Amino acid sequence: MAQVEKIDWQPRIVAFLCNWCSYGAADLAGISRLQYPPNIRVIRVPCTGRMNPKFLLAAFRQGADGIWVSG
Amino acid sequence: MGRFQVKVRRQPRYILLDKCTGCGDCAQVCPVTMPSEFDEGMGLRMATYKPYAQAIPGGYMIDKRDRSPCTNACPNQVNAHAYVALIAQGKYREAMEVILGTLPFPGTIGRICPHPCETVCRRAEVDEPISVCALKRFVADQVDIEDLPVPEIEKRHEKVAIIGSGPAGLTAAHFLALEGYESTVFEAQSVAGGMLRLGIPDYRLPPAVLDKEIRAITRLGVEIRLNTALGRDVTIDGLFEEGYKAVYLAIGAHKSLKLGIDGEGAEGVIPGVDFLRKVNLGELSRIEGSTVIVGGGDVAIDAARSALRLGADKVTILYRRTKVEMPARKEEVEGALDEGINIEFLVAPSKIITSHNRVTAVECLRMELGEPDTSGRRRPVPIAGSEFILPAPLIIPAIGQQPDISPLEEIEGLELTRWQTIATDELTYATKRPGVFAGGDAVVGPWIAIGAIAAGREAAISISRYLKGEDLRAGREPEEIPQENFVPIPEKIERSPRAEQASLVMAERTAGFAEVELGLTEAQARAEAEKCLNCMACCECFQCVAACQAQAVDHSLKEEEINLEVGAVILAPGFETFDPSNYQEYSFSELDNVITSLAFERMLSASGPFQGHLLRPSDHKEPEKVAWLQCVGSRDINHCDHGYCSSVCCMHAVKQAVIAKEHANNGLETTIFFMDMRTFGKDFDRYYDRARDDHGVRFLRSRVHSIDPEPLTNNLIISYVDEAGNLKEEVFDLVVLSVGIQTPAELVKMSEQLGIDLDPDRFCSSSSFQPVATSRPGIFVCGAFQGPKDIPQAVMEASGAAAAAGSILAPARGTLAVCKDLVEESDIRGEPPRIGVFVCHCGINIAGIVDVAAVRDYASTLPYVAKVEDNLYTCSQDAQEQMLQVIKKHKLNRVVVAACSPRTHEPLFQETLASSGLNKYLLEMANIRNHDSWVHGNDPGAATQKAKDLLRMAVTKVALLEPLQETTVEITQSALVVGGGVAGMVASLHLADQGYPVTLVEAKSELGGHARQLRQTWRGEDVTVFLRDLVARVDDNSLIRVYLNSELQEVKGFVGNFQSKIRIGGSNGVKFATRRHGVAILATGGRTIKTDEYLCGQHSRVMRWHELEDAFEAGKLQEAASIVFIQCVGSREPQRPYCSKICCTFSIQQAIKLKATYPDMDVYILYRDIRTYGQREELYRRARAAGVIFIRYSLDEKPLVETDSEGGLRVVVKDHILQRPLVISPDFITLATAIETQGAESLSRLFKVPLNQDKFFLEAHAKLRPVECATDGVFLCGLAHYPKPLEESIAQAQGAASRAITLLARKTLQVSGQVAGVNPAKCSACGVCVEICPFGAPGFSDRGFAQINLALCKGCGLCVASCRSGAIDLKGFEDKQIFAMIEEL
Repeated sequence: MAQVEKIDWQPRIVAFLCNWCSYGAADLAGISRLQYPPNIRVIRVPCTGRMNPKFLLAAFRQGADGIWVSG
Repeated sequence: MGRFQVKVRRQPRYILLDKCTGCGDCAQVCPVTMPSEFDEGMGLRMATYKPYAQAIPGGYMIDKRDRSPCTNACPNQVNAHAYVALIAQGKYREAMEVILGTLPFPGTIGRICPHPCETVCRRAEVDEPISVCALKRFVADQVDIEDLPVPEIEKRHEKVAIIGSGPAGLTAAHFLALEGYESTVFEAQSVAGGMLRLGIPDYRLPPAVLDKEIRAITRLGVEIRLNTALGRDVTIDGLFEEGYKAVYLAIGAHKSLKLGIDGEGAEGVIPGVDFLRKVNLGELSRIEGSTVIVGGGDVAIDAARSALRLGADKVTILYRRTKVEMPARKEEVEGALDEGINIEFLVAPSKIITSHNRVTAVECLRMELGEPDTSGRRRPVPIAGSEFILPAPLIIPAIGQQPDISPLEEIEGLELTRWQTIATDELTYATKRPGVFAGGDAVVGPWIAIGAIAAGREAAISISRYLKGEDLRAGREPEEIPQENFVPIPEKIERSPRAEQASLVMAERTAGFAEVELGLTEAQARAEAEKCLNCMACCECFQCVAACQAQAVDHSLKEEEINLEVGAVILAPGFETFDPSNYQEYSFSELDNVITSLAFERMLSASGPFQGHLLRPSDHKEPEKVAWLQCVGSRDINHCDHGYCSSVCCMHAVKQAVIAKEHANNGLETTIFFMDMRTFGKDFDRYYDRARDDHGVRFLRSRVHSIDPEPLTNNLIISYVDEAGNLKEEVFDLVVLSVGIQTPAELVKMSEQLGIDLDPDRFCSSSSFQPVATSRPGIFVCGAFQGPKDIPQAVMEASGAAAAAGSILAPARGTLAVCKDLVEESDIRGEPPRIGVFVCHCGINIAGIVDVAAVRDYASTLPYVAKVEDNLYTCSQDAQEQMLQVIKKHKLNRVVVAACSPRTHEPLFQETLASSGLNKYLLEMANIRNHDSWVHGNDPGAATQKAKDLLRMAVTKVALLEPLQETTVEITQSALVVGGGVAGMVASLHLADQGYPVTLVEAKSELGGHARQLRQTWRGEDVTVFLRDLVARVDDNSLIRVYLNSELQEVKGFVGNFQSKIRIGGSNGVKFATRRHGVAILATGGRTIKTDEYLCGQHSRVMRWHELEDAFEAGKLQEAASIVFIQCVGSREPQRPYCSKICCTFSIQQAIKLKATYPDMDVYILYRDIRTYGQREELYRRARAAGVIFIRYSLDEKPLVETDSEGGLRVVVKDHILQRPLVISPDFITLATAIETQGAESLSRLFKVPLNQDKFFLEAHAKLRPVECATDGVFLCGLAHYPKPLEESIAQAQGAASRAITLLARKTLQVSGQVAGVNPAKCSACGVCVEICPFGAPGFSDRGFAQINLALCKGCGLCVASCRSGAIDLKGFEDKQIFAMIEEL
């Protein structure tokens, strides 16, 4: 079995969530007290139709390790 | 009608919705866990709960039933349920506090009480009562009573004298002390405790336990004066003279009753209580020889066991009845027998034999039980000649006690009863002498200690009120506590014996007075407490009250009766699912892995009991083979009286099978056992085809015989008969019963109260022509109470019922509306941002994890932040008021609230902004609860950092926000209805009834549409008469302008402002008319297809639909010997993969009519699935009973229709039961050809509304907006939406009218400020935005640039993202604002 390296690095994840579905789902995850790692920052958008490719580039430029667009 | 007085009973929630923030702290501390109804019993919830995560309203509530029997049975109302529940949680200190609420002697009573609570415990219905008493002792053993803090009590100056330090006296002293009264307890003996100390042997109640609890009372400031007897040392008068303002007489009953036999006065006869007192005081430490005790109560047993410990050789108890009647605690009787004490049942002493006035023996008589006496126990009757002698030097009569009244006889004003007890008021325990109260055994005679404690507690209330000059009786009348509505005992419950305490080994027992019962171990206690059935649900431990920082919990709330005056009533009470327990062959109650479809639905839900994982209940293993059994409680008159089809089960089983496959990790096998697949709804057959062909769901046409457990596994064997009649077996590991729907019994009762009729299936009676009207005018119905149906139909009906009610109420529209005063908006243009940040604690929901102070302080370091505050609950009324003041005072022009979700709370804060004169769009929220503290509870540091980040992003964005203006659009107060069939006419009439002018456009030369061909509804109602009346009402209505021979030529405008050009044909040439309208309803209907299949159009005796009816009425069928109906002609085929829905019912109705007229005629119906859904199933049953022959065919083996050599018809069809071809030579063939829309495509273009693949109009949402098109202001109904029977068309037409009126009634339309805007300077007029917008909002301006119609813009930003020139931006979500947030990541 491969040895697991101890990693201090923490990914930074940006989520663009649709106000009507995924943002509400994230609210519901809270209501249900589902626990997940605190590495994610949510930006609420009115619809994923609002997503501009430049948002993704800007987020990567800002150091995001992963971007999640959900809607 | 039009004027109802409605009385509504509202059950209390016990949590005030206006204060509850939905944080759930109350549920966290609730000790009562019970099965969650929402998760169909598979998950758990607390007694304090929110029904489900997305519940509206979002507050919590408390489930409280009738008072738990244990608490109710306790003379002192000690809340046994609560402390048992808290013990199960390991909350011993809280449990102790609950007990101390009414009982200052937990350890004492926990040892000696005869526990009436256990006698009534409902757990006995499962196995044995909970060991409530031993649990009480357990708590007292865990928590040192002297460790509990002494509450701070404001002292009062009045002093109270208490005579007697027994349980009554000390309890009164305890509760008086808690009220601030100082009292002095006078005790005649040299030790305190009364009977507890002197009447109970140490092996049962170690003196240290009692002494500790007495010390806990004296800690409160109670003084006990020993060796001070009433009459001898103090008098009542003297006490009053000394300054005592009230006296409580609690002298107990220490005088023994006499046996009343010869020799009783001799030496060696010591009455029971005297004997125990001597032993307890150490005056008697050794006895010799045999001892005989007379009696069957606790004193007798105590005396016997004490005698044994003092050295008696042989101890015999004489009891004149049997063991069953013995009043002593059972534990004590068993203990005595274990220790070798001999109990002679059915024996009574007749004479004490003495020598020199010393006892030598007792003469006894044997008894038998005769008739019951007044106590209900059978009276012992002596058996003549049964005398026998028991030699013994010590006889202890223990047959009862009474108060020693000698010190009372001379007290002025005190009255005694003829039973030598003190006379008092039953409720207040006040004696006849003012200021003197009495209680305990001195009043009621000898009784159990808990009774005396109850008396002491009541006396404390009376004395306190007396001293304050209050009414002694107010609110104390005994109330009848109902004992019916309890939490049901779960069907699947494990049986186990009750926890018993370990006892001292025998050798150590009789050697001395060491305590015999050793108490429960912690493991025992927790396990025992967990067995509690929580009869009352909420146990009233009040942990929630303490936990709720918003002070929203109020257990004192009562049921409310609300009286309403209304003009109409709409009933939408829904249904319940069928309980499959009485299908014995399915063993639903016994087998864990047989579940209902509703339970499976919850299992598939991400918010369900297993978070959406597919797990079977018995072992939480992922199933590999799941079976669905259809028609459980539907189409079945054998197991239940539900002859009807529940309509929804086929589709939901197919859906569940598909979704289960998606949820399963590895190749789940799914099988649906069914009779007919009834996927008759819009797009349902397509889904069915995909489930079978793409997802591999297996459909097995069969009859299920039984479900049996597979030995040694949790698997299940389904025995079934396939279509060819073969009996087969197959093993599954989970079985889902697709349970039908039914009207619950309480709705039957409600219907009686309301005076509305139900049909024989117990659904609300309604006619096809008025589908939402009940039998009582003014009361309307919708949903499954009207008949089994799915969500779209229920939603259509709901709107329809609103329209029907609205027609009555139209004159009253707006009369109760209140207008809100608007605050003038301040102009902030040009001001630098001054941002106010409000950080919410949400009680402990945020502050318990996130360091709110740190976040608040951090906020003040951010640019443009002018003011920072933190609030316990930012959403509370006072915090809102405060925010308003802060905004004004600090001249804030932007606000950030760091709290919960904007989805729930943004409107509230926006309103506060508006009230303070700030544009409501200058708000941004940082979701530091739902997205932070609630989901990162185990990492407070990271959660605090995340809160800061989210706040910083919000502050950055809000600084860039600008005031947005909402546009107001005028609505033209009229409607256009396209299609003059039944749906169009009904919609028109409802609009006109409510006062709106209607333009009705019909392509044909007369109104009526296809209904003109209909004779009867499936229920037999006369359509001709209905239609004639309907047309007349339309013609007579001055608000409806009808255009016949007309069609729409052009439609311009948008919601509220349409302008349509109508082309009017006719013999006088073509004319045009232009009408302005605010809304449009599309009701263009459908038509049956013509076909050349099955020789249609080629053979004169092959007909379609109504042609058969025409032939029948013309008498052409008289000579016919046989007729064949062929179903699904052109429907459910690749080119038209949908069900035309009404054909099965229509054909069967015709077949019945033929059979009734020509009984000898052979009538065949060749079908694929019979889809007589809902209550139409009754027709199918009648047809079979009438001898109509049903032959199923499949799509790949369709019937063959040919002409024989003589020109006759010949049909060849494969019979699936016989598995061979069948040849029929019918006289006529009639075809149920498919139904399709007409004219939908042109309307679709005119109104820019989409069609589905089958060319029916596409609704905005299949379930939730079934009568609206995606384009605002356009509605649809009737067959243009999908084939449907008359009553569904009418309900949908009413629904469409209702939805249209919601727009018209507003007169103007307020459009959100968050809409797209075009910068013409950048626009290249490429038209991408126009193409891409699903709502038709962008168009071209006169100058050729893109222009957004704000009335249609939904603010989605699709056009913004697609604009290659960057000319469009979305207000409130502008590029620069989103980039700014990204910059702050």
